[in-house]
Amino acid sequence: MDFQTNLQSESGKLENIISQFLLKILHVILDSRVPSLHSRDQSSVYRVRKSDKWFNLVLGDRPSALDNLNFWHRNVMDPMIIDIILVHKDPNSIGSLSSSCNETVIERWVVQYESTKMVHHPINETSSSYKKTYKKSIVLLRSLYTHMRLLPAYRIFRQLRSSSPNFNFDIIYKVSSFSNPFSRADEESMCEYAFVPVEALPGRLCVSVTYRSTLIDFNLEPLVSLPPKIITDYVGSPLPDPMRSFPSSEKGVRATSFPLRGVRPPSSAPLERPHSWSSGFQKGAPFLQNQPIGGSPPAFRPSPPSYDFSSSPSDNYSHRVQNFRPPAHYRSPSYDEYQLSPPFSPYASPAPSTYLFGGNPIHARKSSETAPVSIPHPIRSSRYLSPNFSDPNRHSLPPISPRSTKHDPSSQESTSANRSYRRTESVKAGELHGAVNHSSVHKMVRDNKDDSGRFSGLLYSSGSPRPGLSGSSSRLSFQDDLDDCDFSCPFDVDDIDTSDSTASQNLDAKATSELSSQSHPLGRKSQDAAVGVLVHMLRTAPPLRQDSSIYSSHSLRPEDPEGGVGTASGFFMPRKTADALEELRSYREMKDLLLSKSGTRVLSREEA
Amino acid sequence: MNCEVCQLKELEVEHYELREVLRCILHTIVFQRALGLVRPKDIDLELFEITYVQCGDAEVEKKIDEKIEQFISWVEKHPNKKSQICLSFYEVKSKQPSWFTNKIERLYWEQWYVNLNVSQLPRAHSIKSRHSKVVDPGESASEERSARRPALEASLRDVLFQIIKFVNEKKDHVPPISEGVIYFPFEITIPRKRSLENFNLVFDGRKIVFKVALRNYFLQFIGLCFWDGYDKENAADWASNHAQLMEELGS
Repeated sequence: MDFQTNLQSESGKLENIISQFLLKILHVILDSRVPSLHSRDQSSVYRVRKSDKWFNLVLGDRPSALDNLNFWHRNVMDPMIIDIILVHKDPNSIGSLSSSCNETVIERWVVQYESTKMVHHPINETSSSYKKTYKKSIVLLRSLYTHMRLLPAYRIFRQLRSSSPNFNFDIIYKVSSFSNPFSRADEESMCEYAFVPVEALPGRLCVSVTYRSTLIDFNLEPLVSLPPKIITDYVGSPLPDPMRSFPSSEKGVRATSFPLRGVRPPSSAPLERPHSWSSGFQKGAPFLQNQPIGGSPPAFRPSPPSYDFSSSPSDNYSHRVQNFRPPAHYRSPSYDEYQLSPPFSPYASPAPSTYLFGGNPIHARKSSETAPVSIPHPIRSSRYLSPNFSDPNRHSLPPISPRSTKHDPSSQESTSANRSYRRTESVKAGELHGAVNHSSVHKMVRDNKDDSGRFSGLLYSSGSPRPGLSGSSSRLSFQDDLDDCDFSCPFDVDDIDTSDSTASQNLDAKATSELSSQSHPLGRKSQDAAVGVLVHMLRTAPPLRQDSSIYSSHSLRPEDPEGGVGTASGFFMPRKTADALEELRSYREMKDLLLSKSGTRVLSREEA
Repeated sequence: MNCEVCQLKELEVEHYELREVLRCILHTIVFQRALGLVRPKDIDLELFEITYVQCGDAEVEKKIDEKIEQFISWVEKHPNKKSQICLSFYEVKSKQPSWFTNKIERLYWEQWYVNLNVSQLPRAHSIKSRHSKVVDPGESASEERSARRPALEASLRDVLFQIIKFVNEKKDHVPPISEGVIYFPFEITIPRKRSLENFNLVFDGRKIVFKVALRNYFLQFIGLCFWDGYDKENAADWASNHAQLMEELGS
């Protein structure tokens, strides 16, 4: 009886060792290959759990995906096959609506307990054999741990784990008790390595790996962001969903994958493969590939919707289709999540939707398909835009004139969008601003060869430098500056909107009478021209105090100028009275015009 | 119990690569033999695209670093030479104290020989020099260096695979793991100043036999203790071994 109980306890211990060995190996492999499962908790205060002490190899928190290993791997005699799959997006298809992802098995680990029933082993050998087995399996695991870092797949794993930009690939895994054999072509490109089996009487533990010797062919590379800059903390338009919360900009959080981690029917995987589970997607899974892109909300919303917005805007931009990494703060995986994780549907990313906007950096929200509100009016202002910014939907440029905005049926939207854009920091806006202002300045002051900086100094005489005009890469939006400035400017849209609606209406009324079909440039021109003329005159006017001798050198009219012009503004050159009167009238007109637009502070200065 | 010996593939390294290469190899070996409870630590090499694993023990790291520094200083004095570092794992056996001896015997059960061919390109100075003379050896040298780098990386990788293979193949000789001990005691031996060229040392179990092959041999055996950490034998054993040695040298 004792002998039998001994045997049973020995075999029980052996079986325990074998099952723990399988778990440990799976943990090592997944920890070294699948970035999304990798535990980032490497703090020294980690308290070693008892389960982690197996084989004297502390690896950290075990992914809960391993917990279900016992569910399917009931029979220790079944092999455990771990496929490390590279999901690689075809670089040529980036940007196209029908994106294709290739899956390639880059490593296949086979762990098996082989039973050798050949020789009857003496009892005394078996009695302590489990201890030897345990010791040797410790050695094997050490060497496996080292070996994993020398294989080619480790480098791309490290790339994915790095905090650097997105990549056009990802790594997922599949665990099963059977596997499809490799094709001949695949086999030729793969190498095999078999660890020396560990004696585990009455059998032995065998571990082998078949791996691709090189991954150069896959052109794995970080995705280059498109030339338009990303608005890193774009908050989007509040219109579609006023109750929506806006994310804070978390640059370190990469949560593109998160909205895709969804309510995957748990029965899907088991139905397909009764003895396997996998991360990511598999070929043939019906609900996985070629999801409708953009437009419709992803079918797999995360359970806590706030995570949608926790991603940084840069994450949502275009090509993070392949990154399955959940946000760092979401590191308490449950069984269900890991069964479904990592996110399997990169195609649902609204990345291609950015192409609808011509690749502008408008933030495409993942959760909601509301694209940023488009502002059609810039189409008309396109002639004032520098050639680079021909995108009609770029509403970072303030509308050229308020009239065009008002006439736009979506003007309300655009106005609010403008307001929202005030809060955004956009280098492009600044640059665009500068570009537009330059062009407008040149239009206004054709004869004036002074640099626009001085011109701007006159125009925006509140004293604040105009970053756009100075050409510096100001991150202040255009409207912000406008808000601060009391002085009007040709692009003053919001001042009109915010300050005096009636005044704007009057202006509009006035403008409509002046405008033709494509009138807004002309209307603007008249206003600009008036100001330009004023400035020109001011510049060319003689100084206030002059020697009377200078005056006498000119042909003075004996008559005094009428209307008190000569005395009123001492800097007038001696000329005909009629001219002076005309000037005065034009001045008065301008004054009225300017007064109506802004405060009187600056104008009173002129009169002085 | 026999002593397993592994001769690792020779590596051609430059002086400035020594530290990294040695750290990588020695830590890898120790990690394979650190069968106690460890939390592995991944270390990326700077000069190569290789990640190796340390056992995470500070004492081990310190010991290895010290030996590497000693070796590097030795190499500086003996440039452009082939050299060898020996990492030996031993068991401590307390011997019955006798009249002459009162010491602990070390029983070596595994030895690793790291074979290096340290080269220094002309006009390249050690960075450790006080005057910080990092002279640019010139374009041709840097070209040569960049050509050698991938080859060295491949060789280093081969050495690591060699270690893994050896560790897997030979498991039976590993002693039992003591409770609370993380790694087996080991020692690292490096060439000494008075050392002789091209020597090989083989420990064969309990019977310690010196077998030294050399070109010019000066018998300065008495009082010389070559090996750092080597414990002197008792007089009787030494005498017999010495005699045997003389015989073999004569032959």
